[in-house]
Amino acid sequence: MTSQKKASYLFIALIFALGVLMPFMIKRYHLNMLTEIIVFALYAVSYNLLLGYAGLLSFGHAMFFGMGAFTVAVSLIHIPGLSMWNAVLLALAMTTVVGFITGGFLLRHKGAYFALLTLAFNSLFYAVATKWHKITGGDDGLSITRPDLNLGFTTIKMADLTNFYYVTLVVIGVAIVFSWYFTKTAMGQTVLLMRENEERMKFLGYNTNISRLILFTFTGALAGLAGAFYTLHFQFVSQSAISVDMTTTVLLMTFVGGTGTFWGPILGAFVYIILQNYLSDITDRWPLFMGLIFIVMVLVIPGGLSQIILSIRRLIPGKRNTDRPVAAEEASP
Amino acid sequence: MTDYLCIREIHKDFSGLKVLTGVDFTVSEKQRQAVIGPNGAGKTTLFNIISGRFKASSGSILFKGQDLSAKPAHVRNRLGLARSFQITNVFQELTVFENIRSGVRSRNGLRYNFFRKPDNNRRINERTEAIAEEVGLKGVMHVPASALSYGQQRALEIGITLSTEPELILLDEPTAGMTREETAQAISMIDRVTAGRTLIIIEHDMDVVFSLADTISVLHYGRILASDVPEKIRNDQRVKDAYLGEE
Amino acid sequence: MSEVPVFFLHGLAYAGLLFLVSAGLTLVFGMMNVLNFAHAAMYMLGAYFSFTLLRATGQFWLCLLVCPLFLFIIGALVERFLLRRVHTYGHLHELLLTFGLAYIMTELVKLIWGNFPLAVNIGGFLGQTVEFFGMIYPIYRIFIFGCAVIVGLSMAAILYKTRLGIILRAAVNDSEMVNALGFDVPLVFTGVFAFGAALSGLAGVIAGPLLTTYPGMAHEILIDAFVVIVVGGFGSLGGAVVASLLIGELQSFGVLLFPKLSLALVYLLMAAVLIIKPSGLFGEKQ
Repeated sequence: MTSQKKASYLFIALIFALGVLMPFMIKRYHLNMLTEIIVFALYAVSYNLLLGYAGLLSFGHAMFFGMGAFTVAVSLIHIPGLSMWNAVLLALAMTTVVGFITGGFLLRHKGAYFALLTLAFNSLFYAVATKWHKITGGDDGLSITRPDLNLGFTTIKMADLTNFYYVTLVVIGVAIVFSWYFTKTAMGQTVLLMRENEERMKFLGYNTNISRLILFTFTGALAGLAGAFYTLHFQFVSQSAISVDMTTTVLLMTFVGGTGTFWGPILGAFVYIILQNYLSDITDRWPLFMGLIFIVMVLVIPGGLSQIILSIRRLIPGKRNTDRPVAAEEASP
Repeated sequence: MTDYLCIREIHKDFSGLKVLTGVDFTVSEKQRQAVIGPNGAGKTTLFNIISGRFKASSGSILFKGQDLSAKPAHVRNRLGLARSFQITNVFQELTVFENIRSGVRSRNGLRYNFFRKPDNNRRINERTEAIAEEVGLKGVMHVPASALSYGQQRALEIGITLSTEPELILLDEPTAGMTREETAQAISMIDRVTAGRTLIIIEHDMDVVFSLADTISVLHYGRILASDVPEKIRNDQRVKDAYLGEE
Repeated sequence: MSEVPVFFLHGLAYAGLLFLVSAGLTLVFGMMNVLNFAHAAMYMLGAYFSFTLLRATGQFWLCLLVCPLFLFIIGALVERFLLRRVHTYGHLHELLLTFGLAYIMTELVKLIWGNFPLAVNIGGFLGQTVEFFGMIYPIYRIFIFGCAVIVGLSMAAILYKTRLGIILRAAVNDSEMVNALGFDVPLVFTGVFAFGAALSGLAGVIAGPLLTTYPGMAHEILIDAFVVIVVGGFGSLGGAVVASLLIGELQSFGVLLFPKLSLALVYLLMAAVLIIKPSGLFGEKQ
């Protein structure tokens, strides 16, 4: 158990070290793409906490992503001299509040009902973003410039991509690691146990409604953080950030990567963004290919890419995993 | 002196079907009460109402002077009430240890914490092990519940029920489906682990009832027919009629 | 307020279309417990098929007959070869599958017909106007409402008055028992799903001349149809009737009375219903 734990921390450190070295190893174009991947990795991780861990299929996750994205843009435009941190904090506060309120409505329903309602709510937010031209820019969108980062003793120029990449790597990286840590905490375990047997949890003193609301709000805030960095990355936001397509995107990423493991969706974000970049160079109809890949996944490998990788690992002697389902494996110490 | 658990005039209709028609009974502290009755008498429904799974159509439940009627299940559990299920209701994919720990950490207030891991809490893990030992599952602590034998699953069911350190324990047919030897073992285990607590048990097996209970209530057609010490119940004509069928 | 009767009729026409879309959706949901996200995409396919067929033949009545049949076949194939396979994985996968299908259908439409609106003109009798009570009103909108009434009444008649309806309703409650009695339940489900698809196709054909035919039309109607189901109550045909009328009229008068808020009115109605009666106006308690 402890060696496994050490291995996990070592793995995280390795990924971070690799991330730090990246700007020296790859071209600007690819660094741009990598920044986008990191942002979407957090979005996918937040979605997986909802879908993979709590078993809640939402078609409205983009409302949090978009809310975060718009909050940063709107606040940077309307509040002169606002620092980047405060804009991000505002986005977090906003999505937390919205998550709590909408969650109160949405979580009264389960399964297909819940899925349908989240879609309706997302459409409402999209409609508001489209119509409220004065604030959101409507179809034109909003353009911003990244404010420089004042660390007290020095100022970091955010116009430089490499600098922004490092900030993203640290902030989003910490959020992802915290999400991973979260799955091992009391709350994270409560969510998993509820998916397994909600009724029993009630008779063990857990308020399952509150637990679900807390989780929903938490994943909303994480998606909001990802959305905030999405705006900062592109220095632009339009209503597409809050559209149902943005939910489809995260659903595809999560599902392609696999909902059974924590890191599957991160892999999914990686594969999705790269595929999107290359396929869209070749053909205008790349979403069609993504859709086909998705259907094949649902039909043939419901566990996603991470399922394939785990099955390959099982074939290697000495690296045998137990035959327990992957989600439960995540739950065990 | 107020009674420990006091159930007054409980009625329960399921869309017109009257399952309970005015159940009245009281249990005093440390009492060991059995509820018996023919199939369909409403025993499990009564448990579901006491534990908060269903709301009663009318009537009240007082536990240590507090009215439970409007309180949800998790609040009742925190007040010291725990139940087991007739049909094994455990976390199948998790190990015995994790199953029991779910309640132990709830009892210790580690339910929704975003930062602390149950893994790192020595007190909780030790208490979990102790409960696993009490119900005789120490040897299989790290086996998933789905891989346990039937008897072991029933023991785990009781282990989970004990995990929140309840004062009042409701056991719903704990020995259902067990062999003779398993039943004998289960009786002595239940006797041991519920010592010093209040126990209400639903059972069909009269051996179990007579060896565990000091008071027996007979539930028949949704009401309590008789409540008394075991010897008197054994000789009660109305009870005999209820079981043998009176027309 | 001489506009009031006209807007009322507009509302009825849109309500008719909404009912045609949501009836199939709620039928499939009520019978099979599958929320078909591809339903609106099938509706869109119906509209596009109809566009092509109409341009080739000029016969709108032919479209009304052939396009639903096309969609019936597509629906049957989807149920038999895709949906049934993922059934064992549970509802989540069924939802995801229909969602993926909707995605692919939308992309295919863009690929084949292009990503721009197409105008459908029907000539003949349906394209004309009629004068009554001093108003001049397009016959086509009255025709839509008529179609919805006919479809609604036939569905109710089949479900509650025929032997087939009895089998259908029994299959929902206890599919194993009905299977044991010698009825081919999987075939029944294929039929129900295909029928739902055919209804969506019919709605698509009818929507073509009323609204624009473009790749976003699926999403647009999907949300309204979902709102109808939420407000009316999941799986309830009667609820779909009432909610379609409510939302059709709300949309119509919303444009007249509060042009800026018209979009939000529908959502406000949904929110209000969710607060007061979460299971919908005619829904059974979950």
